[in-house]
Amino acid sequence: MPHRLLKFALRKDHPEPRMFRAPARLEDEYDAVIIGGGGHGLAAAYHLAKDHGITNVAVLEKGYLGGGGTGRNTAIIRSNYLTPEGVNFYQASVELFQDLSRELDLNLFYSERGHFTLAHSPASLRTQRWRAEVNKHLGIESEVVGPEFIQKTVPEIDLRVGGHQAPICGALYHPPGAIARHDAVAWGYARGADRKGVEIHQQTAVTGIELRDGEVAGVHTDKGFVKTRKVLSAVAGWTTHITAMIGLRTPLVIHPLQALVTEPLKPWLNSIVVSASLHLYVSQSSRGELVAGASLDPYELISMRSTLDFAEQLGGHLLDLFPCLGDVKVLRQWAGLCDMTPDFSPIMGTTPIKGFYIDAGWGTWGFKATPICGKTMAYTLAHDRDHELIAPFNLSRFGRFELVGEKGAASVGH
Amino acid sequence: MKIIHCPINGPRPLQEFRFGGELRTMPDPAAASDAEWADYVFNRRGEPGVKREWWCHVPSGTWFIAERDNRTDEFLRTFLHGAGRADG
Amino acid sequence: MDRRLPPRPGEWIDRGRSVEFRFEGRTYRGFAGDVLASALWASDVRLLGRSFKYHRPRGLYSLAGHDANVMVEDGRRTNLRGDLLPIVPGLDARSVNTAGGLERDRLRFMEWFGRFLPVGFYYKAFHTPRLLFPFYENNMRKIAGLGRINPANTPDDSPKDYAFCDLLVVGAGPAGLAAAIAAGESGLRVLLVDERPRPGGSLAWQTGDSANGPRLEGLLARVRACGNIELRCGTQAGGWYADHWIALFDDRRLTKLRARATLVAAGCFEQPAVFRNNDLPGVMLGSAAQRLIHLYAVKPFDRAVVLAANGDGYRVALDLHAAGVDVAAVADLRREGEPTELARQVAEAGIPVHHGHGVGAAIPGAGKKRIRGATLCPLDSAGNPRTDRAQRVECDGIAMSVGWTPNGGLISQAGGRFVYAENVEQLVPSILPKGVFAAGRANGVFDLDDRIADGTRAGLAAAAHLACTDSSTNGTPPAGPERIVHRGPPPSHPFPIFADKGKKNFVDLDEDLHLADFANAHQEGYDNVELLKRFTTVGMGPSQGKLSNVNAVRILARLNGASINDTGTTTSRPFHQPVSLELLAGRRFHPLRRTPIDPWHARMSAVMMHVGDWLRPEYYPREGRSRDVCIHDEAANVRRNVGLIDVGTLGKLRIDGPDAAAFLERIYTGRFGKQAVGSLRYGLACDETGVIIEDGIIARLADDRFYVSATTSGVAEFFREMQRWALIWGMDVRLSNSTGQLAAMNVAGPHSREALHELTQTDLSPEAFPYLGVREGTVAGAPAILLRVGFVGELGYEVHVPASYGLHVWQSLVGAGERFSIQPFGVEAQRLLRLEKGHLIVGQDTDALTTPDEADVAWAIGKGKPFFVGMRSLEIVRKRPLSRRLVGLTFANGTPLPEECHLIIAEGEIAGRITSIAPNSTLGHPIAMAFVRPDLAEPGTAVRIRLDDGTFSEGRVAKLPFYDPESARQR
Repeated sequence: MPHRLLKFALRKDHPEPRMFRAPARLEDEYDAVIIGGGGHGLAAAYHLAKDHGITNVAVLEKGYLGGGGTGRNTAIIRSNYLTPEGVNFYQASVELFQDLSRELDLNLFYSERGHFTLAHSPASLRTQRWRAEVNKHLGIESEVVGPEFIQKTVPEIDLRVGGHQAPICGALYHPPGAIARHDAVAWGYARGADRKGVEIHQQTAVTGIELRDGEVAGVHTDKGFVKTRKVLSAVAGWTTHITAMIGLRTPLVIHPLQALVTEPLKPWLNSIVVSASLHLYVSQSSRGELVAGASLDPYELISMRSTLDFAEQLGGHLLDLFPCLGDVKVLRQWAGLCDMTPDFSPIMGTTPIKGFYIDAGWGTWGFKATPICGKTMAYTLAHDRDHELIAPFNLSRFGRFELVGEKGAASVGH
Repeated sequence: MKIIHCPINGPRPLQEFRFGGELRTMPDPAAASDAEWADYVFNRRGEPGVKREWWCHVPSGTWFIAERDNRTDEFLRTFLHGAGRADG
Repeated sequence: MDRRLPPRPGEWIDRGRSVEFRFEGRTYRGFAGDVLASALWASDVRLLGRSFKYHRPRGLYSLAGHDANVMVEDGRRTNLRGDLLPIVPGLDARSVNTAGGLERDRLRFMEWFGRFLPVGFYYKAFHTPRLLFPFYENNMRKIAGLGRINPANTPDDSPKDYAFCDLLVVGAGPAGLAAAIAAGESGLRVLLVDERPRPGGSLAWQTGDSANGPRLEGLLARVRACGNIELRCGTQAGGWYADHWIALFDDRRLTKLRARATLVAAGCFEQPAVFRNNDLPGVMLGSAAQRLIHLYAVKPFDRAVVLAANGDGYRVALDLHAAGVDVAAVADLRREGEPTELARQVAEAGIPVHHGHGVGAAIPGAGKKRIRGATLCPLDSAGNPRTDRAQRVECDGIAMSVGWTPNGGLISQAGGRFVYAENVEQLVPSILPKGVFAAGRANGVFDLDDRIADGTRAGLAAAAHLACTDSSTNGTPPAGPERIVHRGPPPSHPFPIFADKGKKNFVDLDEDLHLADFANAHQEGYDNVELLKRFTTVGMGPSQGKLSNVNAVRILARLNGASINDTGTTTSRPFHQPVSLELLAGRRFHPLRRTPIDPWHARMSAVMMHVGDWLRPEYYPREGRSRDVCIHDEAANVRRNVGLIDVGTLGKLRIDGPDAAAFLERIYTGRFGKQAVGSLRYGLACDETGVIIEDGIIARLADDRFYVSATTSGVAEFFREMQRWALIWGMDVRLSNSTGQLAAMNVAGPHSREALHELTQTDLSPEAFPYLGVREGTVAGAPAILLRVGFVGELGYEVHVPASYGLHVWQSLVGAGERFSIQPFGVEAQRLLRLEKGHLIVGQDTDALTTPDEADVAWAIGKGKPFFVGMRSLEIVRKRPLSRRLVGLTFANGTPLPEECHLIIAEGEIAGRITSIAPNSTLGHPIAMAFVRPDLAEPGTAVRIRLDDGTFSEGRVAKLPFYDPESARQR
């Protein structure tokens, strides 16, 4: 047993301080205001303070920390993307994640499980090989594996998929693929930022952004106005609320993404299994629950309602793949919001409005980018210049018709 | 499952429909600047509110326009393309 | 010891049917109608499970389906709840999550380490050094989790059902029955569901009055008499979805219900009190004790203490007394006690009542597997127990009746809101969405007569609402009778939570969370309800907080010094009770499309491949030949003799009308206005961003009649977009998708003309029917469209006939071609042949961003056109230099060959990728298509392709097509 647990036993009181302060009121002015107290916003605040010494920062969160996409995703982390720009970006994120528990001194349960993207057709296998080759070129552990390897690693999988659909003919296998405790990522960054002087204001909603001569001058909130010359919007599924405030046109549309969780079970599935053909991804949490999701809901909606179709279809696809799960019971279904772009890549960095920075377009892949978003967006705010890793993701790419080629990878991008 | 009122087929379950994105007006390709054209091609009115959207009733191949609140998923009305301006 | 009581009216057990079953390896008997927990309790078995974290002994607690600590596996299924699982002969149940059995669970030592493991301990340790984390995690994972998956299990594929009604009433208790009767007698078609096996709700077990049996019978008789009420028991309303689409689950199937309105009369969940050892076997909810007595005729305890804060607790005491239990004391949390008649009855029964007292602790017996006493403590003015004045009472059971919370998940899912009402000290619905109604205890109404009246009121309100909807007057429904407001003392205690400091006072039994965990979490800053839930995991266990969320919110509100309403609640999500994947999945339909030629392919034992929903022959195997050889031979026979391929999966569209040509000019990049009748042209289509999305053949059958082919996987979407553009442009065209109505086959090869000749009247001579011609005629008696295409690079005819003729025409062609050595060929041979001919396949040789320039098909763009979809975007794209180009590659024989999507590497950088390759082409050497950087696109350029093992293959850029560049053979 780690010695750190000894202190709990030896002390009569609970020897843990507050993770984060609750500032009584907003100051009049901040060097930067970050909208959104999810993983991304908090990580950006942390890195602004840590890397750039900018500590007079307020994070404004209309709900509670990590209550948006951070706390609703299925916590998969990987870097086996299709394009070099995607791979380099997510690999930088994975590398930060691997050391993040130590850096934040909070056990994030970063658990490397290995990630399978199943191919049910030669066409799909071709795309997986494309990804594998780009990955390997950039030094990422990633390879195409055959059915035998899949069967050996995940013995309960039915490679025939029930016999009525295209069988599994291989997979992209990414050994570093991991899951983590998503909420804790937000808490860890919040504590880290807080200790460096950043103010975190929960239950504080932004109601407007003040522009003067086309530049950011401040932020209106339900708790009053604050002056600032730099605003970062890091609100993912709520981005279109914010961009509408300043008339910034973007390609973003919001779709719900649903997930479900089963009752806890003894360890059974070690790997993360994704099938684009079945619109399915599944992993088993450290608590023993199977956490599974599907592809995006097929139409725009800024609401987190659940649908029965989702649960029925996902249930069916889970059994297509794992017939032994018939008696396993679903505890709960829920939804999150995804801000989708046409090229399945984020929109990050500077914008035509001076002082307004955007971190959006997170679709279904935002959680895994949390650390690197924090680092690169902090750099971008501090220097008023896009960090080189995010330059391909600038909003201006659409005007130039220079889209990122990530869409070819898969419709299920987890 | 939601029920949507197809202007031709009446109330039908959501699974028979396909969402077709927001109703957009194409600028004159000859007159539009590159920036205006790119804005038309890529940018969307993704913000919360009542939107005019394309929907298609797939079994019958009926495209129509819906006014829908994208916060509540409430369909305020549906009508055939070109029939929307008449009554409010 | 047999704890079974003498037969009693209304009991759910069938004493005529004794059932033998096993639990933890020992044999017991119960009766049909028993659940596992009741049958075991009847046999005086109290240790029914172990807890999640500390492996503390746990017993029967709610007997209402929320006993998450009483989980068993039966050899096939896992995580079965002991308080829901009916016993059946042969049942062999074992507790989940023990090491070495329930009695001797080796993990019970976990509790000794409790001090090391406060809430969230796992966030504070195990992460450094990093290398050790996997070891810790593995062990934690083994300890966490409940049941084991049975790898040999197979799902039941039960069919799903659909149901329709005007009004769904959830809960067949007094309020629900009254509501159903009121609505049914108003003419509504009512579906009344109850998750329990029998109707009656609390009337069946709670209100002990002998008049209740007849009262329930009377309500049920009215339900039966009303022809339009259907009652389904054993059916949970699992979730509410948009437009009153409701998932009903029984033990066999999912029924998807479309209702027009929903009425929730699902009652309340009784809530436990928090005190030391409140989790041990023998401590249970008052309602659990009553269910034991009235439904299963089991004597809960021998000597009991009742902890009460409402009249229900007094009723429990009376029921226990009547069942022969020695009720040692009623501890009433309320200083003023019970104001009703019940107080007198309890006094008359000789039961001592202690006003202003709580239970300080349950006193465990050996191994904590039973309790042997309770301490009664007076409460001080702040409501805290005075442990210094504790009085010890011997007992083997504590029944808790301290409060309720509404079973209102469906209301939340429908968008309703709840507010904390101090007159009842619980949440009540405050906003009900359109078409959603609440009645009875779920609506904050507790008196039995009130509940029945509230049910009637809500049923009538639903009827009025629906009548209003019908008449489409858009008026608001007439205001019904006034809402009934609870009178008398609140049925719930505002804070039934008593700390014995330093001890375990459990709040959430699923997750083993005790009072100190909440204070600690709060101290660390998890001070709002969602953060608290996520940090402590309260409410995230199998019972989803039904017995813990309310107390957690009360605790948090007190820690924050805030009201319950300001503290808020967490959101209720489907499902009400956990639902198995097999019920959700049902029979799992998988649509599969087969062409009309499919029976013939089957006779030939063709190897079939899935292409979207379609099945197509990949190749036709031949004895003793490998797959590659078969494919090569099929292709070679096309080059040498004649081959026949089923292309029935191709999209087949008809575009008719005066504007047809103009329409196609806007959809496709090419020109069709001046296309001659009877001729074909290649069509390439882009999306609005200028990316290639489709290609096909455009055949002009008449001035105003076109026949168009499209890709197998793209046609449905492409056709829908065509329909939309036709509307937007207001063009006079008629579009129809004939894909499924027509069979199509391609007869190709030097002898194709001869093979086809005898089956058709159409003049096939090159002069009469040249390359890229189209003719309408007959083939083997079938009306046919004949198209002279060159996809595989040989003389060839596509023959499209009505699907019903397809097999006949195919067989006729096979017969007619026999003397020319006709052989079928599959998709793989076709891919090879078209690659030799340099034809791209959209989706394989193009990707989600490929433009016509990149794919080297810019020749298909009509010059000087005013408009086509994607044109304006391509103008913008063309202002920057091309970044890649699709080219041909050839390889020397014997070279190690790449596979599709291996990368071309130049100067250490990615400079392209293979899109298609044919190792065994009929040209005698391997060929491929690839994207390359434009500076590598010159024919003759050597390119290096990295293989799986890191070595390189070398290819040479070649002019396309590889085969018959003059296209002499297909003319």
